[in-house]
Amino acid sequence: MKTRSMAEPRKLRATGASPGIATGPVYLADRPALVSVPVAPGTSGPGTLAEAVETAISALQDLADRVDGDSRDIIDFQIEVLRDPTIAEMTEERVSAGEHTVFAWVAAIDTHVAELEGADEEEVRARAVDILDMKNRVLGILSGTPVEDFPAGSIFVGKDIEPSRFLGHDWSAGGGIVLFGGSAAGHVALLARAKSIPMVIGCGRFDVATDSQVRIDGDAGMVFLDAQAEGLSPVPARVPPHTDAAAIDHGSLQTSDGVSIQLSINVNDPLEIDGIDAATAAGIGLMRSEFAVRSLADAANEDKQFHIYRRALEWAGGKPVTIRMLDIGGDKPLAGLDDDSGAMGMRGIRLLLARPEIARLQARALLRAALFGKLRVLLPMVTFPSEIDNMRQIFAEEAALLLRRKIAHRLPQIGMMVEVPAAALMLDTFENAEFFSFGTNDLAQYLAASARDGSDIRAYRDKAAPAVLRLITQAMTLTAGKPVSICGDMAGNPSFLPALLAAGLRHFSVAPAQRPAIGSALVGLNADGTRAAGD
Amino acid sequence: MSGSRLTMGEVEPLAATCQTEIEVKHGVGLHARPSVTFTRLAKSFPCSIEVAVNGSDIWLNGKSIIKIMGARIRKGSILRIRADGILAEEAIRALKELIERNFDEDKKHGRTT
Repeated sequence: MKTRSMAEPRKLRATGASPGIATGPVYLADRPALVSVPVAPGTSGPGTLAEAVETAISALQDLADRVDGDSRDIIDFQIEVLRDPTIAEMTEERVSAGEHTVFAWVAAIDTHVAELEGADEEEVRARAVDILDMKNRVLGILSGTPVEDFPAGSIFVGKDIEPSRFLGHDWSAGGGIVLFGGSAAGHVALLARAKSIPMVIGCGRFDVATDSQVRIDGDAGMVFLDAQAEGLSPVPARVPPHTDAAAIDHGSLQTSDGVSIQLSINVNDPLEIDGIDAATAAGIGLMRSEFAVRSLADAANEDKQFHIYRRALEWAGGKPVTIRMLDIGGDKPLAGLDDDSGAMGMRGIRLLLARPEIARLQARALLRAALFGKLRVLLPMVTFPSEIDNMRQIFAEEAALLLRRKIAHRLPQIGMMVEVPAAALMLDTFENAEFFSFGTNDLAQYLAASARDGSDIRAYRDKAAPAVLRLITQAMTLTAGKPVSICGDMAGNPSFLPALLAAGLRHFSVAPAQRPAIGSALVGLNADGTRAAGD
Repeated sequence: MSGSRLTMGEVEPLAATCQTEIEVKHGVGLHARPSVTFTRLAKSFPCSIEVAVNGSDIWLNGKSIIKIMGARIRKGSILRIRADGILAEEAIRALKELIERNFDEDKKHGRTT
């Protein structure tokens, strides 16, 4: 670091959430977080679906004016379906029965599509396609409200940043994130680590002018305000990606004493896999579908989900792809869904079973995608075996529905996250789970009674690591020989690898950026977790 | 509307129940395009409009494209159309004429019968 210059730079000591150093102009996000989410909170009411329908109608009418013949007939038909009073009535009935407006509307449409698909006449069956296209158009409008972006290369400074905003931003020009609050276990922090975006959290509210230069150090957890005044030389914003010469053949490696280990990657943004060579991983150990499904309209969009899942499976080329069903609620609300949920409340599989319209639609997308590779469906926040039975029932019913509609599908393997302590302790009672995956972030927050979105009590979670490790070690004896992996942050921290190996874990799934470091750490250890001799 | 109170008698000429029966002669039955023409015309009237096909006692919402298309109306089908409410008579007359004109299909596509 340079010696002091005339102006004393202001330094803030905070917590690093994602390593790396970034310098850039400040983008101060002073607007309340809710304003910029893709779907306005009011979407849960009937008003905004109606608005999306009206927008779709006027767009279709514009289009209709410019075409003629058969195209015009199709558009006229689509407009007429959007104005159909029967669909409006069915939607209202479902809403009064407790369904969310968007899903109620989708279900009303799908019912009629199924009827049309069963028709004898080709012309009637063809209309089903037009209706599906129209449905996707409306859902696109619902989710398509542009997120307010910030200039490329700038340092985002604010109270919080939404995953959708993070994902919608172009990080190729560098930049970083400083949050007044936040949590290293929060989902944007996960995303930032995966994409190697420097991020500092928990520095408290501070005054800084928009466009003034700031430098952040995600390793030391420091923020330097007025970086220019101090004459800090700009540093490359992006940490150059690790290049590992170590031959990791399809994520299959060996410990120093020759025991096979699988190393998979965790995927958030579905576009993330584009820049990753599939030959470097044993597959996708965790795809968090809530990052592919960023709004209620996405959750209601079966085709969009299907294409995202199918793409991941095709990328993996026959290697296992584990897709976790929507883990919404808690610190991961779905824009537009206003169900009250805390970290210990209605989230994960609980919310999916309470909102079966969301689960059914995702199940259909997964059933269809399963044809394109080795799909494993992971259920989040499972507490009791009955929850898996109930979800299996949903998969069976939706498979039967697809069969009636003559839509190709396959039943994927269904397994569970081990992240609720009660489930970890009783793992031998989960005969209906085909595989297990440890989620250490949630295990830690529940074991230490300290919410993962609270940065001020992070120390509690960190100190609970031995308790988490003991619980994992114990649970490993209850798995009945079924496939087990670990996908939480603990797997991406080299200091925990000896204990995890000693507990018997042989399959690790980490963020792509951590894979080389974890891979080389693993090959330097023996299977019992001891350091290899001469290393 | 100020002052005088409307009596039922004064409303009756407008709000009525009206019904008709007609055979569909259109070659391709009532598929997408003619269905759209039919429901659009039906929607232009404030009264309720219902349709029953081939003597069925199930009355379908005549303003619903989904229902009308789902009714599998073909050449030779007998449609009963009933309207209830304001402009019911006019609605029945207009819809009947539309069917008699083969849903304006010929006109639309410049074909001659």
